[in-house]
Amino acid sequence: MSTPVIETEQLTKAYGSHRGITEVDLTVTEGEVFGFLGPNGAGKTTTIRILLDLIRPSSGRARVFGIDSAADPVAIHRRVGYVPGEFALYDRLTGGQTLGYFGNLRGGVDPAYQASLIERFDLDPSRRFKEYSKGNKQKVGLIVALQHRPELLILDEPTSGLDPLIQQTFFETLREAGASGTTTFLSSHILSEVEKSCDRVAIIRDGRIAQTGTVDALRDLAHHQVELRFAGTVPESEFRSLPGVSDLVADDHVLRMRVTGAITPVVRAAARHDLVDFVSREPSLEETFLAQYGRQAVDGSQR
Amino acid sequence: MTVQAGTPRPAAALSTIPLRRRLYGFGSIYGKTIRDSRLAFIIAAGLFGGLSLVMGAAIGTVFPNPEARVEIDKLIGSMPASMVNLFGNATLMGPKLGTLGGYMTWKYGALFALGTGLWSILALSGTLAGEAARGSLDMVAAAPFGKRRIALEKLAAHLTMLWLAMAIVAVTIVVSSNAYGTAALGDPVPLAGSIGFALWAGLIAMCFGGLALALAPLLGRSGSAAVAGIAMVALWAASGLDVGGPLVDVSPFHWTVNHIPLVGLYDWPGLAAVGISALVLLAIGVELFSRRDLGVTAGLSLPGLPTDLLGVRGPIARAFGEQLPRALAWGLGMGLMGALLASLVGPFADQIGQDSTITKTFGTVFPGFDFTTAGGWLQLYVALFYIAAGFAATTFVSKWASDETEGRLEELLAVPMSRARWVIAGGVAAVAATVLMTVILALAIGLGASAGGAAAGDAILGAASLGLYGVAIVGVGVAVGGLWRTSLAAEIAALVVVATYLIDLLAPPLGLPDWFHQLALTAHLGQPMVGQWDTVGIVACVVIAVGGILIGTWGMSRRDISR
Repeated sequence: MSTPVIETEQLTKAYGSHRGITEVDLTVTEGEVFGFLGPNGAGKTTTIRILLDLIRPSSGRARVFGIDSAADPVAIHRRVGYVPGEFALYDRLTGGQTLGYFGNLRGGVDPAYQASLIERFDLDPSRRFKEYSKGNKQKVGLIVALQHRPELLILDEPTSGLDPLIQQTFFETLREAGASGTTTFLSSHILSEVEKSCDRVAIIRDGRIAQTGTVDALRDLAHHQVELRFAGTVPESEFRSLPGVSDLVADDHVLRMRVTGAITPVVRAAARHDLVDFVSREPSLEETFLAQYGRQAVDGSQR
Repeated sequence: MTVQAGTPRPAAALSTIPLRRRLYGFGSIYGKTIRDSRLAFIIAAGLFGGLSLVMGAAIGTVFPNPEARVEIDKLIGSMPASMVNLFGNATLMGPKLGTLGGYMTWKYGALFALGTGLWSILALSGTLAGEAARGSLDMVAAAPFGKRRIALEKLAAHLTMLWLAMAIVAVTIVVSSNAYGTAALGDPVPLAGSIGFALWAGLIAMCFGGLALALAPLLGRSGSAAVAGIAMVALWAASGLDVGGPLVDVSPFHWTVNHIPLVGLYDWPGLAAVGISALVLLAIGVELFSRRDLGVTAGLSLPGLPTDLLGVRGPIARAFGEQLPRALAWGLGMGLMGALLASLVGPFADQIGQDSTITKTFGTVFPGFDFTTAGGWLQLYVALFYIAAGFAATTFVSKWASDETEGRLEELLAVPMSRARWVIAGGVAAVAATVLMTVILALAIGLGASAGGAAAGDAILGAASLGLYGVAIVGVGVAVGGLWRTSLAAEIAALVVVATYLIDLLAPPLGLPDWFHQLALTAHLGQPMVGQWDTVGIVACVVIAVGGILIGTWGMSRRDISR
């Protein structure tokens, strides 16, 4: 088995009396696109900043490329491209000068590839950074992160401020990078972009990992919203005892329920009755996400 | 019930904001601006209030009897009128020049007006234009009140702080002159006199602050501050040197040249003219802000630097590129003052040379100073140059710190650059900026002295002492920023500059213990402008500069990066 690109063990960070993250365990393997989901303030950025040694953990440890993040951050940074969630650059430099400067700091930037990124992201490199719109500033940040073809991309809310067309370009670039072996750690609270671009997802809430799995597995682990319409009396008690069924609500001839896990027992039970209609809706990741935060307490069994 | 389209929904009842929070805190724009101004107020009130207090004590101690006062009269009275009036109207003061109020006006009066004016310029150029450039003003302007009210509340807050500081100055002058002065020598300053002086300094400040406010919507923050600052110094010099022409006619310093309240001479119409001009400029500023697009300047920005000088080759070049405009501005500003003083030496030296009595007088009051050289004159005012060099260094520290405080550092440290390299590169660039500023000052002194036909060798070399002091302050700032947090680095460095100045000024005349006086770094630098160097001070400055950067590097490697 290859060395994980990112690995954290019981990673904890406290800001005095304020919570940062608590006992975060993550593993990201080579070549995968890993989504890191969570609401604002959940601890996504704190985790990322520890990975890059911008802040130090209170306990636990983080390794990137097998290197302890606090031991040799420069060796890690050499192989990483990073877009912070919020950043500012030099107001008086043009976009082109900014890209040139970061290229100089890193070395090894292919000017042709840099030019192709500028063209694909439709950036005017002759304007000063302070004159850019928010979206154009974000493009500069993305190109800074991508232009040296890093082995690992760490992206904190990377599509913030980008218009839909450029977002599409960005995800295409991400797929191309992935095809050439780049690993991506993508932090976001926009579920649809994680759903369409990531292989695996971790959900963080209140500083703790609430769930980790593939995007599909998360959906499977999640609930189905089932609505059964019967011709006669609603056999409520028969469904109440079925495994995985909860939130059962009977309304005239309609029975609504939430089914976690396999839906087969519900289908079999319904088939024994005179059924007028059967509606089962596969949840979106967003609904999974909301269900996590709306219903489940974060405890040891979920981690 | 019929609800028509466009009918606003009834607003929820607003909770009452306590008056205390409206006046100080987050209850209003005024309250928040007052809160944001507290550090500047503490520095200004501390500096000028402290100076008023100390000057009374110092003059009372150094010139305690009628004989000593006669020496002052001889000293100042013997100077060319043009030079005398640069600092105060000695001719009009006549025999009152030898009083505590007279000497304070002559030697430090302009400093009060120029220093307070600088505060107003920085505050009023930035309070609206600076916030608009940062983008935070958009959020404020989206609140349910107009732009005019925003401008008025911010302006009112600055004026509140300004006049509070001036009130402190007025009170400290009265206290100081009555506590330390000699009634028989006419030293005590009545309350009316100190109020008149504070009114003069405050109105001059309002006038040039108003100019900055009026220009800010057109030129942006830095452009308006630069133009107002240059205008203030130029109009002061034009009036003081009495160069004639329209430049003198439009100078508020000229309008109030006969207003010397600390010796009981008042020119209320002249002062009223300054006040009216200030109000007109402030009103123009408020109206322009109210009518123009938010954050959009008229494209009249100052010329930029050539691209090559901005430096994108590596961290030191980049950091120096960021420091370069400040280094040039400080170098030119201090150079202008140095050149002015140096250029005046020639004519005055001739006059001294022709009169042995004057030579003796100068020798008595300022032993060891050769006033036939530029260095002699510059050493007389070296304390002011140390303040300027110290504050210049704090602005270099502030620029270095802005990488972290403005959120660039996270992006910078994501490249293969260690924290140590970032601190050292920033420290080296700040030191290089200080050196550049010093070189410009030295060249200006040389040019000024050449123009006046005076020797300037010692003074040119002596300018290096300002650079040494500056790099030591850089070391202090970088150490604080690395060890603790960069957001406090420049502030603490500025406090060190103010404390150093006050200790060096206060300790000898008040007879404070020698060890206390030795705490001031400038007390160890000798009299470099006249060629007297103190090796201990040179070594101390270098050690503090290098040590501070190394301590900052060590501290930075141990702490979290701020966002």
